[in-house]
Amino acid sequence: MRTVEPWVTEPLERFLAESSARLTLLMTSAGQVVAQHGFTRSVDVMTAAALGAAIMASTGEIAKLVGESNFLSLAHQGAKQHVFLSAFETPRGRWIGLVVFDAESTVGLVQLFFERLVKELAAAAPKQVPEQQVLPENFERELNASLRALFGR
Amino acid sequence: MSLVNFAAREITCKIVYYGPGRSGKTTNLQYIFGRVPESRRGRMVSLATHTDRTLFFDFLPLDLGSISGFATKFQLYTVPGQSYYASTRKLVLQGADGVVFVADSQARRLDDNLESLQDLQTNLLTQNIDIRQLPVVFQYNKQDLPGDLILSPPELDDALNFREVQSFSADALHGGGVFETLKGISELVLRRLAAAEPTA
Repeated sequence: MRTVEPWVTEPLERFLAESSARLTLLMTSAGQVVAQHGFTRSVDVMTAAALGAAIMASTGEIAKLVGESNFLSLAHQGAKQHVFLSAFETPRGRWIGLVVFDAESTVGLVQLFFERLVKELAAAAPKQVPEQQVLPENFERELNASLRALFGR
Repeated sequence: MSLVNFAAREITCKIVYYGPGRSGKTTNLQYIFGRVPESRRGRMVSLATHTDRTLFFDFLPLDLGSISGFATKFQLYTVPGQSYYASTRKLVLQGADGVVFVADSQARRLDDNLESLQDLQTNLLTQNIDIRQLPVVFQYNKQDLPGDLILSPPELDDALNFREVQSFSADALHGGGVFETLKGISELVLRRLAAAEPTA
């Protein structure tokens, strides 16, 4: 499991154990990954987050069209695997959960434990955001080297 | 907005390629996808119509490697250019850290470029973002076409680039200017992150 902020870890571990989910992804509404469990390649995680955020964003627009405030959760049924998607508010803004599960679980169980996860995250979030330095000002040389390596130049 | 994971020392930035339909936004991503080693990129996702016009977005995740001790990842998105898809453009733009405006250099497309630029400003404003506060670069694509069909980069700068931000001449189909454009926007986005008040 990987999480951006440590306070997410414990509630997410509990959710994974209780729901028997195969893959779980928490992301911001813009598709940035906050926490994930089960994916092996970070670039695949980013793709799943981008698509999950897009589904929720377009569903939200359809909700507006039909006069709903929002559709907060969605479930997609597959032959062997299923996907549960849900948007929720946190002290860090709106997040989205994407859960992949199989015959080990059910959409009802996933939804039940996901609602508990949302409550636990709200309770666990620290009120203060710690201040930390991001990048030094002289990062350009390393950026240029990285981009040159990326393009083989 | 960039996501910084201090525990794992990771930075993830979202860059959106914007511009009128058929200006070459998807072509930019396809060229990057083709040139970058597989280990440094994810699969390119294209949500397109049966005629290959972008319906929702194209998406390409890139792993830039370590910069100042941070594992740095970029998420490249394109928006659908056709005016019909205005609502999806707005969604893709949400949370963007930087924008590459891909203009079609053909003289007959100047009005389309202007309309798309205006659309970009409007969509940013609905998210309370002033375009002057966001890292933006211009790419003047299709500069390989015959001279009598296109406007020169200085002419396009006069017509579109009111803020005099960085602009790049390009032939995205053959890769000309693609790398330079990505480098330009990457520097702006990361420089903004470096200049920002320390935060989480």
